[in-house]
Amino acid sequence: MLSSLIVTLVLAGCSDAEKPPEPPKEEPQVEVAPKLDAAALAAAAENIALVPSPAEMQRALEKNGIQAGLSAMVPERKLKMDIENKDVIAVRTGVVLADALLTVKDAPKEKLVERLAAVKAGVAALGAGGDIGAVIDDLTARITNDSVSRDDLVKELDEMHGAIIPELKYEAGERCVPLIQAGSWLAGSNLVAAALSTANNTSAATELLRQPQVADYFLKYVAAEGEGKAPDEVIKQLDGTLKKLKEIASKPSLTIDDVNEVKAQTDAVLGLL
Amino acid sequence: MLSSLVLALSTAALADEKAADDCLKTKIWEGYNTGWAVRTATSATLAKGEHRIYLVTLYAGNEYKIMACGDTAVTNVDLVLYDALGNELARDGHQDREPVLSYKASATDTFYIAVHATALLGAATSGGVATAVTYK
Repeated sequence: MLSSLIVTLVLAGCSDAEKPPEPPKEEPQVEVAPKLDAAALAAAAENIALVPSPAEMQRALEKNGIQAGLSAMVPERKLKMDIENKDVIAVRTGVVLADALLTVKDAPKEKLVERLAAVKAGVAALGAGGDIGAVIDDLTARITNDSVSRDDLVKELDEMHGAIIPELKYEAGERCVPLIQAGSWLAGSNLVAAALSTANNTSAATELLRQPQVADYFLKYVAAEGEGKAPDEVIKQLDGTLKKLKEIASKPSLTIDDVNEVKAQTDAVLGLL
Repeated sequence: MLSSLVLALSTAALADEKAADDCLKTKIWEGYNTGWAVRTATSATLAKGEHRIYLVTLYAGNEYKIMACGDTAVTNVDLVLYDALGNELARDGHQDREPVLSYKASATDTFYIAVHATALLGAATSGGVATAVTYK
């Protein structure tokens, strides 16, 4: 019995040995993205996606339970859009855009319509009024008729914001994009700081205001592009504010004094517009 | 003659990016229906092995979905998310041209997104790759 098993195994082994060797299988070539180190990342990084949109800020506020009463915290702004300096119009447009987006949930109807009208005027002054103007007109009509819910409005304004930036980039040039973002970010930070200060909420402050790279991005932009584009006192104030915001935002956690300082600094810049 | 060639080449490059953009736009609009919104969408023309790095601020608490689309000349696109110190946090290294990364930041911070064109089709020398950062 054992001997026949051995014979069978030997024969089986022999028969395998007689088979021609199979050619090596070709493994499909797998290309894997290399791991990059911090220096390589920093050297090549583009800032195109760095600045959060006001709509994104609005969602972060909501998730941190800071939503109620925001509209009442937006000061009366009479920002003229019929001026010659397109850079200033771009910053102002960013400001009113943030005002509209951040307060969409609780703003009184007429206030919201007024803020959207300011966005429309800014966008038109920058040369991109057509399609976006029509969208704003449609939204305004539905707000006036109470035929759109505030939740749907958040989504629609978000989509509109998504369309404004590329259209303005196309119509008014690449240069206006960081200026609009700067206006929105400053107005957004100002409003967030006001809400956090009122709520005395420092844990949310750390989550919402800790953006040193964004402050740094605008600081570099002001240094590179600001000279001669705005009065010296404006550039000086903006530079000082951004440096202070960067310093505060670099802290591991923020105090209520930090929040109040963000409010005061951004108030000072927005007051110059 | 030379100007026509330059025009043809630049048109071809744009066409590549347009195909990638169109693919991404479809995904973005699908995302809107499920509550996703867009921070930024951008596109680039990449040679084999080339990459683009985007610096992003992500809010704690928000969910983020980073998506990319390669045009038909690109057979594999990879996405890698790094923190500000260069530590790798997430990677979509699947062998396809439409990678997606999902991430929820535990703290508001700055991150790097690396988009790699790791493989191209046959003799293609470059391809269009579009990338979007979406959130909800």
